[in-house]
Amino acid sequence: MIITFSILSAIAVISALLAVRLRNLVHATLTLMAFFVALAGLFILLMAEFLAAVQILVYVGAVGILILFAIMLTQQVTGNVKEHIEAHGALWGLAGATAVLLTLLLPAILKTALPLQPVVETIDPSVRALGLNLMAPYTIALQVIALLLTAALLGAVVIAISPEKSEEEKKS
Amino acid sequence: MTPINPDQLIVQLTQWALSFLDSYPLVAVLVAILLSTVPLIAVFPGCFAITTWLERKGLARIQNRIGPNRTGPLGILQPAADGIKMLLKEDIVPKTSDRLAHFLAPVVLMVPAFTILSVLPFNRNMIPAAVDTGVILFFALGSVSTLAVFMAGWSSRNKYSLLGGMRAIAQMVSYELPLVLSGVTVIMMTGSLDTTKIVAQQQLSEWIQSSNAGLQCLGQIIGWNVFTPWGFAGFLIFFVASLAEINRCPFDLPEADSEIVAGHLTEYSGFKYALFFMSEYVSAFAINGLSTTLFLGGWSGPNIRPPWSDDPNALLIPGFVWFFAKMFALMLVMIWIRGTLPRLRVDHLMGFAWKFLLPLAIMNIFVGGFYYYAPRWHGIPVVGWPIGFLVMYLSYECIGRLNRGPKTAQRVYHYAS
Amino acid sequence: MVPLHYYLVVSAILFFVGLLGVLTRRHAIIVLIGVEIMLNAANLNFIAFWRFGPNPDLLLGQLFTLFSIAIAGAEAAVGLALVIAVYRFYKTPDLEKMTSLHE
Repeated sequence: MIITFSILSAIAVISALLAVRLRNLVHATLTLMAFFVALAGLFILLMAEFLAAVQILVYVGAVGILILFAIMLTQQVTGNVKEHIEAHGALWGLAGATAVLLTLLLPAILKTALPLQPVVETIDPSVRALGLNLMAPYTIALQVIALLLTAALLGAVVIAISPEKSEEEKKS
Repeated sequence: MTPINPDQLIVQLTQWALSFLDSYPLVAVLVAILLSTVPLIAVFPGCFAITTWLERKGLARIQNRIGPNRTGPLGILQPAADGIKMLLKEDIVPKTSDRLAHFLAPVVLMVPAFTILSVLPFNRNMIPAAVDTGVILFFALGSVSTLAVFMAGWSSRNKYSLLGGMRAIAQMVSYELPLVLSGVTVIMMTGSLDTTKIVAQQQLSEWIQSSNAGLQCLGQIIGWNVFTPWGFAGFLIFFVASLAEINRCPFDLPEADSEIVAGHLTEYSGFKYALFFMSEYVSAFAINGLSTTLFLGGWSGPNIRPPWSDDPNALLIPGFVWFFAKMFALMLVMIWIRGTLPRLRVDHLMGFAWKFLLPLAIMNIFVGGFYYYAPRWHGIPVVGWPIGFLVMYLSYECIGRLNRGPKTAQRVYHYAS
Repeated sequence: MVPLHYYLVVSAILFFVGLLGVLTRRHAIIVLIGVEIMLNAANLNFIAFWRFGPNPDLLLGQLFTLFSIAIAGAEAAVGLALVIAVYRFYKTPDLEKMTSLHE
């Protein structure tokens, strides 16, 4: 268990680090996919199989592909960024992020008394219970999410449509 | 000693073999894993070899040729010859290519292709991985193959490869929606994502357990989802979308050899090409296996209880015979379609998925819901069946008519006439 | 069994990595990737707390993660559409060069 956990979390951290530090955008996206898959593995370790499947379906199958499409539409197809990649004040950014990690997150985790063992040893995989929850107590939330996704879909199409091209189409 | 059932022979043999390892639980787990995975890795490449030969012979028949006939009787050894040729070929990697991604692409394609086979029930008690979320796992891992195709196309540094890769992504992402939505109807009616439960729901257990041989046969068939209006429409949508999902004709735009050389496969040779080729066929088997499971009753087929057995679930013919028969039948239909239909244009392809299949699949979900709640007479859906069929037919007609473009004028031939 | 601390530490480190990507890179898409990593780190937290919590039968952590994944999908779609629209206007995906408000 601990070995699987260490391997998966090492893959997750290293590939996430590569995803934000690599110069080549397509490589960064591919390592991001590795990060998503490793995280799905961690979900399985935590006995959330359905969410692991959803994680792969949504992130690798949709979000990652979307990022690749965006790269193909904005950059040179090789994905190599020629200019330098650091933002102004990148060192301040590094310092800030490290400060957040070292002064806020880690102390909060290490100082709190957290359970070493899960309260319930085994959990039945329960897609059915998840569905029933979505249908009964969380119906409104589900509807709102559906509305949000529809709005996001329409919004994305409206934003990404190029205005010049549609005028050209009107002329022709 | 339990009585020997013909259909459970392999399962019983496995259990018998494992019973020797009772005192070594760790070894037993390892052996059990090997016993359920090694057959998959052994059987499906064999099926792949048979299918390539069948495809070459079948296409040759359709095109009025003979096909392979030099290697062995009827050219049956052609797959072996092909395999030897592929393995001995030099592995050429373009100089400017992205070596790591170029190397990883076939692996990323092959691993999910074999993994998704493990959620298919080949027979009663014969499923490599009995997971609660079988169908969603299948779709999730299946969507990884999109990424592999993109990696292959992008890393080759070849414009045709990149075009093929981008075409493949656009096509596979679009067709995944009708594919999943037509499967959703079955999941909704079964109330489970578990593939074994989906198969069990398609069998009429009272008829199967009766003493009449005819009823036993019929009970294995009559409950298939394809015989309901939503199941029939869903099966057709699923089949068409699965053709696009595995880049088969008439949706083979990513590797359209008359337009973009071989698409994402252009820069691959030797063993890597063989891996690509094999994983394409294995994922074709997997998706046909899933449509068999969802719509065609999985491993159930005309079958009777062996006369000597008193186990009410025992069957004479092993279920995997029917499973593979149905899978190969679907494969043959795919070969037939490849031999007879021309390739679609890119804009037609996208329009077909978004404007035709997707609304039809959503309509199908509503019809499924109506069928479920419609009143029945002695368990026979006297209301749901005709009305569901009518609604599906009308929506097919309406959506089809709405999709028809403006009428083009009769073409006038100035010189030909 | 792996204790809860370990999951939380991994999640904290992942959050840090995502923040690093947002704060130190100038390419708009990498910034979005950083945001995605941070969201995923939060999801890992939810799942870990659900698993170790007193009533996992209520599935609260899983439900929250499900909603958060859906929202992340919407966010990615709109964000990338914005990147493409901005790229069309400025002809660059570089966040440092989008300074028309500042001039």
